[in-house]
Amino acid sequence: MTKQKKKPKIYDYFKETEDPYAGGVAWCPGCTLELTARFVPKVLGNDIILVGCPCCAAPVLYGQNLGTWHRLSYFSSLMTGVASSATGISRYYRKIGRDATVVCFTGDGCSADVGFQPLSGAAERNERIIYITYDNEGYMNTGYQRSSTTPMGASTSTTPAGTISHGKPTPAKNVPLLMAMQGAAYAATATLSHLDDFARKLTKARQKIKEGFVYIHVFSPCVMGWRIEADMSIQVCRMAVRTNYFPLWEAENGRFRLTHEVSSPKPVQEYLRLIRKFSHLKETEINEFQQMVDRKYAVIKRLCVTE
Amino acid sequence: MVITGNATAAYGAMLCRPDVATSYPITPMSEVAEQLSAFRANGLMETEMVEVEGENSAMNVVAGASMAGGRTFTATSSWGLSFMYDAVQHAAGFRAPIVMVIANREAPGILAVSGGQQDIISVRDAGWIQIIVEEGQEILDTIIMAYRLAEDYDIQLPVMVNYDGFYLSYMATAIEIPEQTDVDHFLATLKEQPKRQVLEPGVALGCGTHGIEKGFVELRYRQCVAMERAAAKLDEIDREFGELFGRSYGGQIEEYRIDDADIVVVASGGVAGTAKVAVDTKREQGIKVGLIKLRLFRPFPRQRLVEALNGKKAIGVIDRSVGFGWDCGPMAMELRALTPEIGIVPILSYIDGLANLDITIPHIERAIDEVQSAALGKSYQEVTWIPLEE
Amino acid sequence: MVHNDKFMFPYEGAWSDGREKLLCLDTGSWRVTRPVLDKEKCNYCSLCALYCPPQCLKDMGDHYAPDLDYCKGCGICARECPRGAISMMPEGEFADDSAKR
Repeated sequence: MTKQKKKPKIYDYFKETEDPYAGGVAWCPGCTLELTARFVPKVLGNDIILVGCPCCAAPVLYGQNLGTWHRLSYFSSLMTGVASSATGISRYYRKIGRDATVVCFTGDGCSADVGFQPLSGAAERNERIIYITYDNEGYMNTGYQRSSTTPMGASTSTTPAGTISHGKPTPAKNVPLLMAMQGAAYAATATLSHLDDFARKLTKARQKIKEGFVYIHVFSPCVMGWRIEADMSIQVCRMAVRTNYFPLWEAENGRFRLTHEVSSPKPVQEYLRLIRKFSHLKETEINEFQQMVDRKYAVIKRLCVTE
Repeated sequence: MVITGNATAAYGAMLCRPDVATSYPITPMSEVAEQLSAFRANGLMETEMVEVEGENSAMNVVAGASMAGGRTFTATSSWGLSFMYDAVQHAAGFRAPIVMVIANREAPGILAVSGGQQDIISVRDAGWIQIIVEEGQEILDTIIMAYRLAEDYDIQLPVMVNYDGFYLSYMATAIEIPEQTDVDHFLATLKEQPKRQVLEPGVALGCGTHGIEKGFVELRYRQCVAMERAAAKLDEIDREFGELFGRSYGGQIEEYRIDDADIVVVASGGVAGTAKVAVDTKREQGIKVGLIKLRLFRPFPRQRLVEALNGKKAIGVIDRSVGFGWDCGPMAMELRALTPEIGIVPILSYIDGLANLDITIPHIERAIDEVQSAALGKSYQEVTWIPLEE
Repeated sequence: MVHNDKFMFPYEGAWSDGREKLLCLDTGSWRVTRPVLDKEKCNYCSLCALYCPPQCLKDMGDHYAPDLDYCKGCGICARECPRGAISMMPEGEFADDSAKR
């Protein structure tokens, strides 16, 4: 077998190869959040200031008394105050002329729900922060309750599939689109199956933060909450992209572009069948789901600038 | 200059050169935000002003900036304070030396656009130092002293400077604006102290660790102990302020004609001024009454109060707020807790001045009469809701 | 009054400190299967190392080997390998001490 001589191109994006996290940390086997958390500092550097809140990342991001699981500078906020505390830190460093990259790192429960107000405010004021959401479509840390990014039909602990109701009755909020519409300097979607794309976007984020607000929404399946096999989490990301359920796009100052256009999207059933939180869906519901995916994709496609 | 209480607060903040300040409008303090923005827009202040989208963000922004190392300032009132309450507690846990002014207004609970001290009472246990001022000049001076107190290495606690909403906030009085160089000099003492721990990019220090068992208890204990230290520290700072600026306010409490008094009236805020007039009138009538103006509310000025109240025969407390469950005003309730040290003396609670209703000189004179009667051993009413008796 | 020398936190405020040692969990003990590489099939494409969530696949120059102290046995490396060079084998088949810490 011939060995590849060079490492893949993605390594060119890495500013840092030393992993700031301890080898063993309390994230589930197969957790895409762990991959995201370890991946982000590789591209953005180990000198970022992370701002987080209670969520799935917190047991690892936060210290325990004096001890900590990583070597990154961090600020622990409450769910209501992530984007706002980050604003304060960023503004202070700018005032004293100190170069610092402030990165918010939260789940969808914060960005889409309880922390949405400050997020929207920071985006509108064009604060120089990078806000990264890992979207596992629910409040996973507290027991897989639904959030506003939980898709329609998903069975969660607060929208269980029962005899009267059949999963979450309403479609998900499209947070990255909202951020792009707010005029963020850079808004993008990314996921763990397409790491080159993610690395390129993080690199872009490092530049765009000098101009204004940056938002990156990472599709990040939860092995436990979605009931998928631990070894399938990356494949689930891949199928989300291939079915256009989670299109990969970016919007630079409102100019949209699909960064990974899927030429023949697979039917969304290929994605749903991998995930047991959808196993109760009837054929009519799956068709509805497909229509919703198509509608959502059509909006993004229409917004894309054709040169 | 002749300026409103709100404008005075803004001048006080500007003179202290905060690095980051936030503002969100709420009656009756919106003018503080406007004034600070005007200073910034006209180059009078280099502070980073952040016009946030809500009070919760107002507090979180300054908490972040403070833990990154900056001097910070914000302002709010009643409902705004309620909305930012999670961040208020969080900032105290961080030990962020933030200074916030509050133009006191009725709330929370029953909607009112009028003055009262309910907002002070509703956040008693947040872990913030709470000072209540009587008049305009005191607002400005106390803000300067608040930074000395908050940023003191032995303290490192956030401070709330409270002033009467609607009364002081909107009333224009003659204010002496101190020289910038004097204020800089007064605050420069802080530079001689060790530096507090702050966030630094690239340094593996995390702000806001999870408190586990004994670690949590230790953090709480140190918060409480620092709070206790703040009482005496305020007296020290007030004395030093007096030496440099020629004005001092008594520190934790102001004692007015206390030494030879038999009975005492305890009040806080603007009403203390009115009470001084009533005290003088009653003195002329032969009643040996004195006034304690409660300036420091948290930490509760236990030591100073015990000394001042020692040997007094009865106490009347004016509360501009309510407390639930003790059938008396909240400050009266706290004074009752001094019984082991001052002995069992009648403590008469007067609830007045809610919802912008005036506390008049006749109200206070009536209270003094009743307190005097109680001191002489006659029966008395423990709690009186003055507005309902008219 | 508690003496200062009994305090665990050196500063006022809730600060954690990662400048010297880090906390670390024995996540290797969670594993029920471990990745085993067929070196003949490996072409050093690095995908296993890139996709590994705990980033415990160590670069050995011409292939990657799992750090058994921290490998949780999730199986992503085996699933993602484009050449099927990695198989997940039950822990019970290994007599070494790597599962014990």
